[in-house]
Amino acid sequence: MNAPASAPKATALASPVPAGPQGSVQARPPTPRPDFIKVESARKVYATGRDTVEAVSDVSFSVTRGEFVAILGPSGCGKSTLLMMCAGLESITSGRIGIDSMPMTGPRESIGVMFQDSTLLPWKSVLENILFPVRIMRRPVRDYMDRARSLLAMTGLTGFEHKKPHQLSGGMRQRAAICRALVTDPDILLMDEPFSALDAMTRDEMNEALLGIWDRQPKTALFVTHSIREAVLLADRVLVMTRRPATVVEDLRIPFPRPRDPSIGESEEFNRLVRHLRGLIERGPRGAGAPPAMAATP
Amino acid sequence: MSGASLATGTTPGTAIAANAAMRERRQALWRAARRVLLPVLTAALALAAWEWGARASGVSAMVLVPPSAVWSVLANSWPILLEHTLVTLREVTAGFLLAAGGGIALGTLLTASTRIRQTIQPLVVFFQLIPKIALAPLFIVWLGVGPSSRLAFVLFIAFFPVAVSTAAGLMSAERNALLLCRSLTATGWQTFHSVRFPYAVPHIFAGLKICATVAMIGQVVGEFVTAQQGLGYIVMFASAAAETALVFAAVTLLCGLGLLLYGVVAVAEWLVLRWFGAPISSSQF
Repeated sequence: MNAPASAPKATALASPVPAGPQGSVQARPPTPRPDFIKVESARKVYATGRDTVEAVSDVSFSVTRGEFVAILGPSGCGKSTLLMMCAGLESITSGRIGIDSMPMTGPRESIGVMFQDSTLLPWKSVLENILFPVRIMRRPVRDYMDRARSLLAMTGLTGFEHKKPHQLSGGMRQRAAICRALVTDPDILLMDEPFSALDAMTRDEMNEALLGIWDRQPKTALFVTHSIREAVLLADRVLVMTRRPATVVEDLRIPFPRPRDPSIGESEEFNRLVRHLRGLIERGPRGAGAPPAMAATP
Repeated sequence: MSGASLATGTTPGTAIAANAAMRERRQALWRAARRVLLPVLTAALALAAWEWGARASGVSAMVLVPPSAVWSVLANSWPILLEHTLVTLREVTAGFLLAAGGGIALGTLLTASTRIRQTIQPLVVFFQLIPKIALAPLFIVWLGVGPSSRLAFVLFIAFFPVAVSTAAGLMSAERNALLLCRSLTATGWQTFHSVRFPYAVPHIFAGLKICATVAMIGQVVGEFVTAQQGLGYIVMFASAAAETALVFAAVTLLCGLGLLLYGVVAVAEWLVLRWFGAPISSSQF
């Protein structure tokens, strides 16, 4: 059904990300990049007794491979539900979600998910927690040991691999959760407010760590947050969701080049974007001045 | 010798620190000893009062037996008491193990699917309400007066606490941990053995502790009604013969057995919780 919408052949060829078989050293061919994640008119309706609650109403957007997209909105706007639908952990009431031009039917090994809490298993060591996806997917652990150790090094957890989660600080636990999400090298990382349970200083530190990880391991990512600054700092694009209707009212491109430094947070451009987004969230799409990129119901 | 004293006393500061550390250690030791000594002393005082009261009051030893008489029965008839103790120990251990295994199995079955839970859960609750001891005589009708009837009764009375706590434990796994398993495309069995069951282990141990004490009760009641062998049989027999000291001797040994069974479970729990690394009930993960 959705196959003709995006060329499936092209996506299949594009999947090994860097230098393709042509061996082009410098310039990537300027072909339009196909949609990697495509959400079309997705809706989610919960039935609660006699009432029905529309948690997500008519959301459409697409993400190209390697893009980091933040979904920003107030609590209760359905952004987490939307993310869980993309992860295959929530059913879709109507509409379509396609990933790599295949319709979403359920969870996939190629999608890593991070939750608000680290969700580390308390009886397993940090290293065993990180290797947990490898064991669940029945892959040979020794093939992933080096990757696990280099992820530990990248997140500054070297020396803590044999500690139990309760011996770690909240920030360290969340960093271990990042390692676990990345260990099987998934194509897509879905993050559901991963740093919202942390204190402000740890959160800044985690944002910096995530920027660093992204420079070395760029992935297609959806990042749900209610922090405007976090969204602008981390993302290539910010999708703004409102509560009523629970839909995307703005698709804002963040122009800062990568590698990014957290110091861009002091620039005038950064603060202009933050003000614009805050206006959207506080006053709705009409109050912010700039027209919404995507159709929103009046 | 003088060299050693010189080495330790090089600076006054280290000597003071060493003294402080030693005082600290002595205080910690005293605190630990106090936790054992206080209850032991209290028990000894109570026993002494009992002994004195039994002698001074002039009440017949058949009614108020002094602890020394109980002790002399234990010392003089230990071969026969040991024989019955071993019977009780063997049977209650077998019954406990069966009840633990059966309880864990039923608890697991209860959480296997919503439909099974809806089918069995009300029946389990109803079953819990039966005053199970009232059914003990029936087990003789069904299985005779041999060990099998006592074993069946212990199993019958002791496996519900384990089943209920296992079911509660299996339902207590962190929601996000289960979501994580689903997102990793884990099979039902993988989710069970790598997340659900480990999260249930502390709950299962709570059930096993109850199971251990209830199994002892079941065993004694079984020995009362089958009246064949074991410490419960001794209690029945000695009461009928008004040998109060022998009753107390048998009850003392029953206490020891109960403590042993409970102690084994508690030690196993301690070992497992140490493997867990942290009290799992705290939901900070």
